Parts: sequence; C-alpha cells; structure tokens
Amino acid sequence: MTLIDGVKAAVVLFVAAIAQVSIFSQLHVFGAVPNLLLVSLVAIALLRGSIAGAVGGFFAGLLVDTATLGTLGLTSLVLTLAGYWIGRYGETTGRDRGHAPFLSVAVVTVLYEFGLLVMHFVLGESAPAGAVVRSLIPAIVLNLIITAPVYALVRRLLRVAGREELTTEVQLLG
Amino acid sequence: MLASSVQRSKPTPYPSKARSALIRRTVIVVLVLLALTLLTISFRSPTSGALHSVQGAGSTALRPFQVAATRVAQPFRDAYDYVDGLANAKAQNARLKKQNEQLRLAALVAAGKLAKYPAYEKLLHLEQGSAFPKDFRAVNASVISYPDGPFTHQITISAGSSSGIRTNSPIVSGDGLLGRVTDVSPDTAVVTMLTDPESFVSARDLHSRVRGMVQAGSAGTLVLSQVPKQLRVVKGDEIVTDGTRNPRYPDIYPYGIPIGRVSSVGVTDTATFLQVQVQPFANFGSLDAVAALVPTKRHR
Repeated sequence: MTLIDGVKAAVVLFVAAIAQVSIFSQLHVFGAVPNLLLVSLVAIALLRGSIAGAVGGFFAGLLVDTATLGTLGLTSLVLTLAGYWIGRYGETTGRDRGHAPFLSVAVVTVLYEFGLLVMHFVLGESAPAGAVVRSLIPAIVLNLIITAPVYALVRRLLRVAGREELTTEVQLLG
Repeated sequence: MLASSVQRSKPTPYPSKARSALIRRTVIVVLVLLALTLLTISFRSPTSGALHSVQGAGSTALRPFQVAATRVAQPFRDAYDYVDGLANAKAQNARLKKQNEQLRLAALVAAGKLAKYPAYEKLLHLEQGSAFPKDFRAVNASVISYPDGPFTHQITISAGSSSGIRTNSPIVSGDGLLGRVTDVSPDTAVVTMLTDPESFVSARDLHSRVRGMVQAGSAGTLVLSQVPKQLRVVKGDEIVTDGTRNPRYPDIYPYGIPIGRVSSVGVTDTATFLQVQVQPFANFGSLDAVAALVPTKRHR
C-alpha cells in the first residue's frame, strides 16, 4: 500500500465517519441506520488487506468516538476487528469474487451490531438486545444497498493491488 | 561436466511470507491493546482526565466538519422530509378525519351530558334538602323512554328491582312529584305519571292545610279535587303530598313532596267542591333525571 493510497483511504474513512455521525445517524429506516463508515471500511479492507483494514478501523472508530464524545476505544475495537477480518477474507479468498463485498458487508454488519451490543453490555451500559435483533435485517438491507456505489467508488480511488502486495501466506499456484 | 555438480541458485525461502504475517499479527495485537487501553481509561474517568480533555479538543476540532456535513445534507433532508410528508399526507388526512369524527361524537356526548346537568343538580338539591322524606333513600335513574303519544303517561327509567325499587315506589324529579312505579323489572321500571287519569294522590295545601286528592286535569295540568267549597284555597298556594293519614292504610307517598302550585280556584253555586287547578312543579314533557324513593325500613 503506497502512501498515496493510504492518504486516499484515510480521506475516505474521514469523510465516511463525519457523514456517519452527522447525516446517516439520523436516517432511521425501520429502526435501522445505514452504516456508511462500516461499508467504506469493508471496501478498503477488501481492496487493501487486513493491516489497512485494522488500522483504518481503529482510527475511524477513534474518530467516531471522539466526534460523539462516546467511550473512547469502543467503536475502535469493534471496527479494528471488523477491518482485520474482512481484510483477511479479501487476502485469502474473497478479493476477486463479485459477491465478496456484499457477503462481507452482510456478515460484518451482524458482527458489528452484536459486537457493539456485547461491549455495551460488558461496560454495564444500556444494551437493548431486542431492538438490535429487530433492526438487524433492515440494517443489513440498508448496508447492502449502499455497498455497490461505495465499493465502486473506493475501488476507483484505490488502484487494485498487485499480486506482490497481497499476503504471501496464501499464494495461488499454477 | 556431467559429473560435476550443478550449481543451482539457492531457493528463496519466502522471507516476506513470515515477515508479513508477523507484522500483521503485531499490528492487530497492538491496535486491540491500544483500543482496550483507551476503553479502560475512558471508562474509568469518563468526565475528567487528560484523555477526556484530548477527546474534547478533538470533538471541537471535528465540529466544523460535522456542521459542514449537516449543511450539505440539509437540502437533501428537506427534500426527503417533503416527499415523506406528501406520502404520509393521505394517511394523515384519513387519520385526522377519523379523529375529528370521534372528537365530534365525544363533544356531542359531552353536550348531552351537560344538558342534563341542571336536572341532576335539582335532583341532588331535593335529595339533600329538608323536604326530602325521612326513612327513604333516593335511587337515581335516568329516563330511558318517554310517552309515545298523547294517551300514554308512562316513562321508563334505568333502575329496577335490583336497586330496591318496587311497585308503587314514588318517583320524583328535582322539581317535585312525578308519579309511581307501576311495573318493575330487575334493571328498569315503568313509571305512571300524575298526568295519567288513573293517578290519584292524597295532597294538602301547605298554607291552609286543606286536604284533597290531586288527579289529572286538562292540558297537562292537575286538579285538587274533593275540597269542600266552604274551605279556603288561594291562588299561589303550594300543594304537597299528604302522606299517611291513617296508619292502618299507609299511603304510598310520604308527606311533603312538592306537587305544584294552585293556578286558579273556581266555585259554582251548584257544585259541592271547589274547582282548584294546580300547575305541577315537574315538567312532565322534559325529564332527564329522576329518583325513586325506596324505604330504608324493611317493613315498608
């Protein structure tokens, strides 16, 4: 990942985080909120790998926690793990598959929602599991709707990584 | 040449493979530990400390971006609200129409109850006044059916034997005597009013103490009959029930219930009795609330 790519990814995540806390957090559709930041992070992690996903998730989460004056590190932790796992998925199997962004977004939406729920529960804060479960399907649908344009935009901004930039742990033979 | 050993290049041991895995794992561990550290510090001192100050400063620095984003999104949000408002207008209109209908109905019901209020107030005044007969209690009821023609003088009230009402129980309104119960069922009772030709009430002039029988007259009035013409009855005198004269033959009406006021007194040379016309206190044509007088003593 080049420096320019890193800057582009940072800008994308910054804009997504600001839009998330300022605009998207107020768009309640069937009790759910579309998560532009999560979808952007998934796109970056798929295209740039687990380290970029984890670092991006950490700082994007830090940005959200700072902007909302929430508990610092809470969103960071969840987004770091989400970015890392999706990055690993992209590095190993999913990057070149057409359904990878959608599958990643659907899975990571569930993990993200339940991850936040568990963290809030562990911290002794309000953790309405019923509300989270009820809004899960709408949240997945909303995130899937914005996946295609966000992924296309991020893919256009970040050039496709070469084979040598991928992890060498899993190499295709032949 | 063939026997000599072939120099082969040393195979590359994929150093980047292990290295990148190590880097990757180090990064994720460091980031997770960092997040957990921030989480712990922030959770332990959510409103104070250096971290909170840094977070506040960061939030302040981000504020202009958030404001800018909100302003950029505002036209789209307004457009969305407008479209959403249009989409919901039809449903909202139907809901408001239904609500309006319900409110109108509730207003009508309230107005109807309010119209009955004076009748209830008078009734309450009568029941709490000194003229209310002793040894009786009032069973309040509303009128649920009215006379259906000029030849019927009966009303139905919304209380019956389950409330203690029996046949011949006196019925009063807030103004005065109405009649007596002639038929009773558990929850309703039929009241035959004083305007019925078959009704007779033993009565007396409250001022001259003259006794007589009140019965139906013409045009909704009553007459005080069987008053000898040598006795004196004056126009304006109040007529009340006379109550029991002979304990062996107790009257169904207790003493002192207002009946009406003498409106005219006539006398002829040939007649034995005075012709005393009485204007009833009760308005028989407009009854809302009535009370049945139920004896409190069992033997009555």
